[in-house]
Amino acid sequence: MNKPLTPTSKVSSYCYQCVAGPDLLTVTLQDGVPTQIGPNCAAAEIHPAGGKVCVKAFGLIQKTHNPHRILTPMKRTNPEKGRDQDPGFEPCSWEEALDTIGAKLRGIRETGLKDASGFPRVAASFGGGGTPTAYMGTFPAFLAAWGPVDMSFGSGQGVKCYHSEHLYGELWHRAFIVSPDTPMAELILSFGANVEASGGVCGVKRHADARDRGVKRIQIEPHLSITGACSAQWVPIKPKTDPAFMFALVHVLVHEIPHENLDLPFLRHKTASSYLIAPNGFYMRDPTTGKPLVWDKNTDSAVPHDTPEINPALRGVFTLSGVEVGPDDEKWAHTNTACKTAYEALRDHTLSFTPEWAAKICDVGAATVRLTAQQYVDHAHIGETVTINGRKLPFRPVAISLGKTVNNGWGGYECCWARTMLACLVGALEVPGGTVGTTVRLNRPAGNRWASVVRGPDGFMNYPMNPTKKDEWISRPTSRHAHQTLVPLAANSAWSQALGPTHLAWMMQKEGFDHLPKPTPPDVWFVYRTNPAISFWDTDAISDVMANFPFTVCFAYTMDETNYMADILLPECTDLEGLQLIRIGGSKYIEQFWEHTGFALRDPASAPQGEARDFTWIATQLADQAGVLGKYNAAINIGAAGIPLKGEGYDFSLPHDQQHSVEEIWDATCRAASAEITDGEESQGLEYYREHGFRTKPFDKTQWYLYPAMEDSGLRFELPYQERLLRIGQELGERLHEQGIHWWDRQLQEYEALPGWHDLQQQWEDALSTDFDIKIGDYPFWLLTSRSMQYSWGGNASLQMIHEVAKNIAGHGGIIMNPAAAAKLGLTEGDHVEVTSPVGKTSGAVILRQGIRPDCLLMVGQFDHWITPYAKDLKTPSMNRLTPMSLALTDSTGSGADLVKVSLKLIGGGA
Amino acid sequence: MTRWAITADLNRCVGCQTCTAACKHANATAPGIQWRKVIDIETGTFPDVRRSFMPVGCMHCDDAPCLSVCPTQATQKRDDGIVTIDYDLCIGCAYCVVACPYQARSKVSTQSAAYGKGRRMRHEKLREDPARLNVAQKCNFCVDRIDTGLAAGLTPGVDADATPACVNSCIAGALTFGDIEEANSNVSQLLKENSHFVMHQDLNTGPGIFYLWDKVNHQPDITEPEMIAEPIAAAAISPQLQQSWDWRASANFIFGGAGTGLFIASAFAAFGGLNVMLPMLLALILVGLGLFCVWLEIGRPWRFLNVYRNAQTSWMTREAMIMMPFAATGLLALGLKSLVLGLVGAVFAFGFLYCQGQILKASKGIPAWRQPEIVPLILLTGLTEGLSLLILFIAATPANLQGMALALTLLICLRLLAWRRYRKALGAEAAPTATFKTLDRLEFNLSAPHQAAPALLAIIALFAGPLMPFLLGFAAFLALTSGWLFKYTLITKAAFNQGYAINHIPRRGAGEPARGIKPGWMTS
Repeated sequence: MNKPLTPTSKVSSYCYQCVAGPDLLTVTLQDGVPTQIGPNCAAAEIHPAGGKVCVKAFGLIQKTHNPHRILTPMKRTNPEKGRDQDPGFEPCSWEEALDTIGAKLRGIRETGLKDASGFPRVAASFGGGGTPTAYMGTFPAFLAAWGPVDMSFGSGQGVKCYHSEHLYGELWHRAFIVSPDTPMAELILSFGANVEASGGVCGVKRHADARDRGVKRIQIEPHLSITGACSAQWVPIKPKTDPAFMFALVHVLVHEIPHENLDLPFLRHKTASSYLIAPNGFYMRDPTTGKPLVWDKNTDSAVPHDTPEINPALRGVFTLSGVEVGPDDEKWAHTNTACKTAYEALRDHTLSFTPEWAAKICDVGAATVRLTAQQYVDHAHIGETVTINGRKLPFRPVAISLGKTVNNGWGGYECCWARTMLACLVGALEVPGGTVGTTVRLNRPAGNRWASVVRGPDGFMNYPMNPTKKDEWISRPTSRHAHQTLVPLAANSAWSQALGPTHLAWMMQKEGFDHLPKPTPPDVWFVYRTNPAISFWDTDAISDVMANFPFTVCFAYTMDETNYMADILLPECTDLEGLQLIRIGGSKYIEQFWEHTGFALRDPASAPQGEARDFTWIATQLADQAGVLGKYNAAINIGAAGIPLKGEGYDFSLPHDQQHSVEEIWDATCRAASAEITDGEESQGLEYYREHGFRTKPFDKTQWYLYPAMEDSGLRFELPYQERLLRIGQELGERLHEQGIHWWDRQLQEYEALPGWHDLQQQWEDALSTDFDIKIGDYPFWLLTSRSMQYSWGGNASLQMIHEVAKNIAGHGGIIMNPAAAAKLGLTEGDHVEVTSPVGKTSGAVILRQGIRPDCLLMVGQFDHWITPYAKDLKTPSMNRLTPMSLALTDSTGSGADLVKVSLKLIGGGA
Repeated sequence: MTRWAITADLNRCVGCQTCTAACKHANATAPGIQWRKVIDIETGTFPDVRRSFMPVGCMHCDDAPCLSVCPTQATQKRDDGIVTIDYDLCIGCAYCVVACPYQARSKVSTQSAAYGKGRRMRHEKLREDPARLNVAQKCNFCVDRIDTGLAAGLTPGVDADATPACVNSCIAGALTFGDIEEANSNVSQLLKENSHFVMHQDLNTGPGIFYLWDKVNHQPDITEPEMIAEPIAAAAISPQLQQSWDWRASANFIFGGAGTGLFIASAFAAFGGLNVMLPMLLALILVGLGLFCVWLEIGRPWRFLNVYRNAQTSWMTREAMIMMPFAATGLLALGLKSLVLGLVGAVFAFGFLYCQGQILKASKGIPAWRQPEIVPLILLTGLTEGLSLLILFIAATPANLQGMALALTLLICLRLLAWRRYRKALGAEAAPTATFKTLDRLEFNLSAPHQAAPALLAIIALFAGPLMPFLLGFAAFLALTSGWLFKYTLITKAAFNQGYAINHIPRRGAGEPARGIKPGWMTS
């Protein structure tokens, strides 16, 4: 048997390394050393995946003990920066490191928090889709106390995320992330979504349960991903032609399937399908109230949309009078003018989008498209209801999910719109079984989707657009990527900077953009849990830019490609060493739908290795050094570290004028959490959470769906016609042109009321041909990427065990290609090939798989490491240095897509 | 009675490797060693392609091939069906490794570390277990957890603290652990409700991991997976060349076979008046040399006496045991110059040779070895090599070479027939494609075209007068080297293991199931 165990104990913690978390875990200690990760079985009843964690969490033991860790503060001795410059890091004391940073920060406060261009002098970059906040303790309080911080230097945002979905999803149904209601769905159309790799334990569990009861998931994507493997059907579509497939689905529903088979009540009363459209493309409005008009079939007259007891017409063209309001409040009065309904406009718009049309574009049979549409309607159970927690709700068990590269970059708007429209046509938006949102990040309050349902104009939800009207538009950007200036939909919440065109911040450092302020580097750049030098696109160019930043502070785990450019490295406690309390439960990110809500503790399972320090301690020291300790404590008190310390009937606020220890801060936080969860009845502190690990209370499952909140508010989903986007697009164009900015004109064209078909493959090819003066025919393959359950978001490429187990899944470490395509080039399994795009090269071994289109290549994950210990020796190809940062490949939301054309040549035989 | 087993629902499994990692944590396995893992299987041709994930590891077989071959009784099957290894008894001969048709066993020779020897991490130092070095290791269903859990009144498979770590960790709920002898247990219910198969069911090992592939009842299910002779990019799941027995093991078969054959030939030749003292001595030395090579190969050489612990079922034990009377009678025959003792020694030598054939036959994990026809082939190869050696020994001396030539011709022909019988049976039964390629492409093998030369030479020698010793010696040399080459190839080059197979591609949700595959296999 195994070696007898020495005395053991267990510590509760959580894993929030990826956006699919948080999940709860236990750490087994032997002789005080963390040796094993395991599920938290005590949470089996409250956690949607039974208290389990995925493979990434099991990397935490090696992550803690990795001999390559940086264990003392380090200072750079070589003032020259660059990949070719040895930084000459030397160990230094915490005192020296903090003094150095403090001097910089104090200097900035004396000079001014913003520079001459109006940009914040301090910048910060965090990776992992917001998950670093679950590990950075009170650092958010430091940032809040500091003042303006530029977070526009992205590390994957926009190109590696569901960018368009984030923005349009929040606009249409408060869905920063969109998900199937998997537990009740019968049919899921999954366009490139890779939930089995990126949906975390909750996503995996929900879909496994769904398969168990016979769900039909059709996976539509160019390669057979893990999710494709687990699906009932794989449709190998050409890359970036998804909008055509989806438009054809809409076509079948509105033109081929009997009208009465759609969810007509939903379309009439829960969407703007009946709104009438005036000649200039904006709604025809009631001259008195300004409300959009609909045609009431009961009275055969045009009435405001919210008139009680009406029977709005969905189809038809009607003659009526009213006013039309265009951009910048321009008004047109119309008399006896023919106006079609938005639904009729939709029908006209989609008339040519037949399955036969789509088939040619997508390389998918028309019969497959038509059958998919038919199944979608057949499974929608239109008219049926289900009662959840006492509330009767529509039951529509059909859902559509979109994956990366489908829901971001050009085409993202079309796909997000078509997906949401398809849901509306069968009444499957935000109802049980249908397509639902998980969380909000741009609207407020972030913790409650229902509460974010606030009445806005025209019977829709409000949306905190960045202003586009003449006197309100923010002509002078507040961030280096100008998110408030260029992207109205990005809003201006704490998350908005991450949802702007984050590559623009890097691009402008090289060239600047006409008629925007002069590009300036940040005086101080903080970096935590991110490595943009390998994780973004055109990584060589990004590395060059960051080498010019004057003072970079990296919270460093091991040496990596970004902190190679740093001036100071600070070793913080890693996941098993730091102390923190976070919120859990409700509905979150990818597919976390809980029936509980509460808090979980990350209790240190190990003493900090070397000189590593708890992040809360570091934040406190930085606040003190920067002279903002009072504001920092105040920020903690109002909840900047996650939980307000003062509420109704309780107050555990910390005094402002002194430093507080890590345990004092989190004990107070625990007490506040206990009070919050018990409505002030109880106030257990840190010891309670150390004993129990977590604490929850029930969460009403009906809140998984936005429909009840919309119904209660009498609001409609803002579909199909995007009058608001059309207006702000035109206004934005006016503002930009007034300022002389014309380089965003292509993006302005995306503000269409009904998204049209654009040949995205051609668009990509044209952009590459133009930007790089190449013959596109020399680059015959589309290069794609795919997430890996073992690696995604984990920051774990330097962990041996992760590499070892990931190797069991085909594709890691090489270039996946179709055997027929390989045979044409005389390539065989294991051949070492060089893959070249117009912007860069990478190399790796050929991995032959039948599950990929012959015109595509695939590289799993992102591995551009050249200095990260262990990872650099894996010689794994990565597409990141092959994908250009290009304005022509940036959509109006500021996102791109992981897609580029490449060529391939043999450089060595197989091993 | 209880029999612990795992059901793996292939509809649910997503290949995440969480079970793999959890197992590594729970059992502190060395880098590269995975007692549990999930393999990734692609089937079909674009665009009609399927991909499946299959958890594999020790199957805790009902009739475990590893159990019967183990010469030390280190491998045991408990009453509850769990197959265990006693690291303190195991000599690290790796016989169980080659006997296992599920590639579930491994052997680690050095205390390795994830980041290199000089960079052992805290948890590695704490959990390193010298007892596991140089011995066989494999999944034990986390037997400590089961026993501790049971003692605490817990139910394995229901209570996490009594359940294997891989099952506890499975995020897809694909793995379930329980007692299949208990009609109402979780696993029994799953087996009733789902169509299922076991891997390599044709081997009748009675595996304890059951793969669920459809909720529709397809029982009785006799579908065999489709053999794919040249699968594309399926190296990780196709048969792999065994790495446990190298040239040292093959030396035992080479020297042991030739040595015993030489002894037998000498014993009979002695009745013809030939002085066989030196050949007999050489025979004993050769057999001893072979065993010495094995001793060099086993992981725990100073525990070699443990090899005698399983005469009931292990042919390796029997080989070791029969060596003793063989050596004793052989030496006595030499010392006493006794023809009778020589014959007795020849009987033991034959027994030794027979054991070698049976050792291979019992290696269920190596299709090229487990054929019943391997036994006569090993016997005849040994006898042919032995006679060849004797001829080479005495060719230059005045002796009755005509009888030798006739005997050699006969043995070559019999060996050829045995080879043909073996090859035919192997081809009919199917084996790894790579095995066929290796055996058939051997430059000097046991087939008729290659063996015609020594046979004809031996016959011609009969009429060659003064050239007879030379021609016969050359024939013997060819017969000897082709036999040795064959055995070296058989042990170290053609010994591809069973690989993995999936009988059915599972129904994924509302999708359709399909016939599975056995990659890298063919009939020939």
